Amino acid sequence: MSSKQSLIDLVGVSKSYHTGSLQVDVLHAVQLSITQGEFVAIMGPSGSGKSTLLNLIACLDVIDAGEYCFAGQSVRSLSGDALAKLRLQSFGFVFQNFNLIAQLSALRNVELPLVYAGVPRMLRQTKAKSKLEQVGLAARVSHRPVELSGGQQQRVAIARALINEPDVLIADEPTGSLDSETGLEIMQLFTALHAQGKTIVMVTHEDDVAEFAHRIIRLKDGIIVSDVKTSRSLLCVD
Amino acid sequence: MRRLMDSLHQAIQALADHKLRTALSVLGITIGIAAVMAVSTISKGGNYVVYSELQTFGLNSVWVYRNWNTENNGGRMRPGSGIVANDYQDLRQTRTSLGIRHLTPIVNPDERWQASQQRRSSNIQLLGVGRDYPTIVNDDILEGRAFTTLDIAQKKPVALLAPTVVERVLDPARAPVGQVVRIGNKRFTVVGLLAGKSRDFLSSIGSSGGQNANDRVVIPYTTLQAMNGEKDINNLQLEVEHFDEAALVAERVKRRLLQRHPTGYEYSSETMASYIVTTDRILGGVGVIGIVAASISLLVGGMGIMNMMGTSVLERTREIGVRKAIGATEKDILYQFLLEAGLISIVGGVLGLLIGTVASVALAYATGFPVIPSLFSIVGALLVSIVVGVLSGYLPARRAARMKPVDALNTQ
Repeated sequence: MSSKQSLIDLVGVSKSYHTGSLQVDVLHAVQLSITQGEFVAIMGPSGSGKSTLLNLIACLDVIDAGEYCFAGQSVRSLSGDALAKLRLQSFGFVFQNFNLIAQLSALRNVELPLVYAGVPRMLRQTKAKSKLEQVGLAARVSHRPVELSGGQQQRVAIARALINEPDVLIADEPTGSLDSETGLEIMQLFTALHAQGKTIVMVTHEDDVAEFAHRIIRLKDGIIVSDVKTSRSLLCVD
Repeated sequence: MRRLMDSLHQAIQALADHKLRTALSVLGITIGIAAVMAVSTISKGGNYVVYSELQTFGLNSVWVYRNWNTENNGGRMRPGSGIVANDYQDLRQTRTSLGIRHLTPIVNPDERWQASQQRRSSNIQLLGVGRDYPTIVNDDILEGRAFTTLDIAQKKPVALLAPTVVERVLDPARAPVGQVVRIGNKRFTVVGLLAGKSRDFLSSIGSSGGQNANDRVVIPYTTLQAMNGEKDINNLQLEVEHFDEAALVAERVKRRLLQRHPTGYEYSSETMASYIVTTDRILGGVGVIGIVAASISLLVGGMGIMNMMGTSVLERTREIGVRKAIGATEKDILYQFLLEAGLISIVGGVLGLLIGTVASVALAYATGFPVIPSLFSIVGALLVSIVVGVLSGYLPARRAARMKPVDALNTQ
């Protein structure tokens, strides 16, 4: 089965930022492997490097040292545009503050990745509608983000993240801006997506959100301090 | 193409979201283009007026006449103009080798003349000329005919009348051609009517070329000579074969005249070409100054776009981050912002064109210059506005395109 195949491989990955003359080391020689179909939560106190790690995995940022292979291919030497193409094809993004484009309708937000992929308009709209349906927003396609609740906006964002059928769903505090009930709905949606075989990598600082994942990685000061399977994974038959 | 339509839709959307800001940027370009349009149209109209007035003298004209201001030949100055009918005939016969296309003697005695018919009369400018005169000075004959060789040879009492004389002297109740007018103590038959000539602009700037051409009465030079009992020709007016050779031909003619009159005379010449070269220089200079001044306002308009796009990029940094995260390449972002800048400048350009046209018509009305629309200036103005917009938008757009997605996303 493909679910056993290693999708994300980080070997000795380090990352530091420069602020003026100061160099801040954020990640130290991180070793991490995620296989296809996993649902991983990355946790840790603020400043632990969890967001940096997520950004590196999602190819939004580039590593300083070590090696990062995605689907068996090194991404270290890829150009900005090659990384853009990789993100377009292989990643879907869900952010804490939704990051929808304010002047575009829900439908247009969802179809945006397909615009960059050069998909014809009719096909794009059909796909975008079906994704919005999938997240339960069939009746809201022409609404602008300001006309939607937080939970609805996050559903639009999820539909957008799924439109290009990515390998990995990247989620940075997906419930951080939502009340607990709405957050629960979003996590149920994630669970369903995972059940359909989607690989999910999620950063969160809430334990009850992390509980939905099948594997929890804890970071502290740029080092992985624990990496455990949750009780949920035991219920799952691999 | 599909992608362009999408980008276009998004660009329009983005601009519509900031109506006031967009309108102000459009206004900047509009004013710039309108200024360039108005200046170029009015200077074109001005050029047209000046050149069409210069044309009333014949653009290829050269005048050769005696230079009276010399004291050569040990004071052996001779009386008379130093040009007689034989000189004219000689030059006529050799004109091809001298580079002359047409040639006419001009007899214009200093005194003022009057033309009259019954109780009507008018002061006139009396000119005695050869057969080629109307051709050389671009005179149109509205009615009747020009002079024939026979008119000249037989010193016939025939006349061509310019419009003012026609209006003041002829009997309006009868056909003008064939009427008789009295000039001095001689009766002339009107054989042709000359079209009016405008030299208003030249006379308005006090140029000696502003001399009125509409009070002329043109008769055969032989007739005028006979009336005055003289043999002199005041000057020779030539039309040269090639504009560039005007000065050269003038020298040839003067040399030939000196050969025929070895002592007692010197000759001077004026060429229309030298006036035209000077006029070209002045009008060209004025035109450049005008265009430069107008271009500065276009430049300011461009800076407006740059400023707006800069603000827009700053405001939308997060959006740029999102777009890059979900797969937009540098080119996608670059084109998006360039398209917005381009749209502003196209709209500004078209509006500028409309306002510029209105301004041109108003200016033309105020100055009396004609409006000369030119496809070149319309297309040029639009191209310039697009180039200005895209160039002004380029720096901000490139900054947006080159942002690292993670940095753009983390901007608040």
